[in-house]
Parts: sequence; structure tokens; C-alpha cells
Amino acid sequence: MKILGLVGSYRRNGNSEILAKEALMGAEEAGAEVELLSLTDYRIEACQGFGLCLFRKEGCHIEDDVKLVWSKIDEADGILLSVPCYFLESTAVLKQLIDRAWVLAHRGTFRGKYASVMVPYATRGWIPYVMLQPNIFFGILGLRVIHRAAFNVQGLGEAVHDEEAIEKAHRIGKELACAVLDQDSTYRSEPGLCPICQDWTIRILKDRKAVECPTCGIRGELKVKDGTIEVVFDERAMAEYRFHPEVGYNHFTYHIKPSRDYFLRTKEERKAKRKRYKDYLREEG
Amino acid sequence: MGKYTVHLRYYTGDPLEEIGQEDLDRIGRAHGVEVSFERIDNRTLSDGMLREETLDKAIEEITQDVITVSAEDEGRFRKAIVAIYQKYRSPRTPYSFWGSSQDGERIAKAVADATGGGW
Repeated sequence: MKILGLVGSYRRNGNSEILAKEALMGAEEAGAEVELLSLTDYRIEACQGFGLCLFRKEGCHIEDDVKLVWSKIDEADGILLSVPCYFLESTAVLKQLIDRAWVLAHRGTFRGKYASVMVPYATRGWIPYVMLQPNIFFGILGLRVIHRAAFNVQGLGEAVHDEEAIEKAHRIGKELACAVLDQDSTYRSEPGLCPICQDWTIRILKDRKAVECPTCGIRGELKVKDGTIEVVFDERAMAEYRFHPEVGYNHFTYHIKPSRDYFLRTKEERKAKRKRYKDYLREEG
Repeated sequence: MGKYTVHLRYYTGDPLEEIGQEDLDRIGRAHGVEVSFERIDNRTLSDGMLREETLDKAIEEITQDVITVSAEDEGRFRKAIVAIYQKYRSPRTPYSFWGSSQDGERIAKAVADATGGGW
């Protein structure tokens, strides 16, 4: 049984790496083989938006290190992601990887593996979207997340001063390994508002009647009971959350594949109208 | 066909609830517009799952529910579209309006944008 740590920070032996390593020590204690990848050590190019990867058996055409990252995830049973919050959300390297992960979304390559997320951050109140990217990433990959935790640590490597943080990271790693061993996907962290991704971010739809979890796309109704806000999610919507395999299939089959016919039908008109922009503000030569 | 005609193409999983002829008739009557409904289903059972290959199919031929709304009056037309979106939410893709009249498509898209496209 293997647990792979993924670190989304450039800082060597900084908070993200320290927490990841402590968690991997916990996983080792539970009998796991462990490995650590610092994502910033690898060349992860931006997705070029061709979409051909979705139709080619061999996937993406970009020759960088992303295939290596996928192969490491493939070898592992559990993924431990430690990514810092810089400005309200996770660092860009994770977003870059998310965009490249679309090729895997409908294939379900890693579906059913386990995961946990740890986020070191500096200032309370400045982390509203910090679980967004980890949730999208693991949602796309179809992983079962058992822990999501944020750690209030600011300076370089400050996590070592916080015994509770270290203990918690250790426990998160150990419990991830145990979850894999027991095949137990019980969620262990504090529950959030969304029953799927456990986040607290809720979007008010423009009809001002319904709300939805923007990540999972499940809608519900906002209620105030005894002065406390509650969100009652629609049962059908919960069964059809964005990252459900069948929803992914429908999206691929009905929203992506037919765009080929649409593209071909509008190709000539598009080509003619695009001429206006082709050379505008382009440097000569 | 009225001056304003739109085809609202809902693909599998797109509408919030199953589209029903009676509900559409009610919306048509309430707003004084013509509303028709066509269900196209080309899915086949494969390993117990309904599946379909759509890559080489025409937009109109793949599995979908098509609601067609037609009216001469822009205000009535717009209100009927709002009512349909309130019930089923707006269609999802740029080609979901394929085959509509120019004005019909313009209004249907504007209503979807105004309501967030999230209904």
C-alpha cells in the first residue's frame, strides 16, 4: 500500500513540505510505503485547449512532466496533497495540473483512490476559496477525500512551532493509510455545508431563490432556523453532483463531442470573421 | 412559425426535472405563445447503462428534448422563456439553440445570461 505526498509550494522545507512529510511519517507508521513529489520540481505546462486529448487514446500531446505525475498517482493508493494558500486560494501549480487533468475526467483512471488535503495559510479570513482547487482536482480524478484541514502558520517553516498542527498532520497521514487498508471512506474532518465536497462556499443563483455549491453544482434552498443559516440540498441534485461518473459521461457525450458538428457547421463563417483579429496588434516578423 | 422562434435543446442530464408536455402546455397558455415538444432518444443499453456515440452525429440527431417556442410578440416570448428556464433551467451549450430564428436565439440567450444560466 502506497501513499504519495504532493506538495504545491516552491519553498524547500517550508510549511507545506513539513506538514506533508509529517503526514507521510504517520502513513509509514500505519504500514504504508511513501513517496513525496514537489510539483514545482516538474515541468507542468499550461493546457493548450486543443481538446484532442479527450479523443486520443494516448491523451495529451504536450511533452512535459505531467505524465510522470499521473504515473506516480497511478502507483499510489492514497494521495496526500499539501498546498499553501497564497492569495485567497491555492497556488497556481495546482490549477495548472487541474487543467491538464481533464483528459482523465471521463476515463476514471484513478477513481476510487483515497486522498487528504492539508493547506497551510497565513491570515485568518483570507482563505475563502482555498479548498476549491483541491476539491476540483480530486473531484476530477474521482478520489475519495477523507480529510481537509487548514493550518494557520505564517513564517517559513513555522509549522514546526505548532505542536498541534504537527500532531494533526501526523494523524491525517496515518488515517489516510488506515482508510486505504480498511477501504473506509468515512469523512473524518469537520463537515462543511456541502455534503459532497464539504466546502463552505455557497453561490446564490440569480433567481435569488436557489443556492448551489459552485464546485459540485448541487442546488438547494437557504433557510434560517432559530437565527442559524442552513442549506437544504435537493436530493436529486446531490445524486447528480458534478463529478459523478454518469454526469461526467453526459458532459463528455452531450456537451463536448457534439461540438465537433457545431464547429464544422460554423467553420467557414467563423474563419471569415476571425480574419479581423488575426493580425491585429501582432508584431511583424 | 412566429417572428420569434427558438429551439431549446436539452441533452441528457440538462433539465432540472423531466420535461413534461402538460407543463409546457400550461406555460404556452399562460403566456399566449406556441410551445411544442419533441423527444429524441438514440441511446442503447450497454452493460446495463444507456450509452450513445455522439462524436460523428448531427446536433439534431443525438438524444435530446427539444422545446420549441414561437410567438409574434417579444414580451410574451421572453416571459415564456423565463418560465421554461425557471422550471428546467436554461440549455447548457452554444449549440443548444441551433435552428432558431436569429431574434429568438438572441432573446433566449439573453434570458439565460440575465438569470445566470444557473437555473
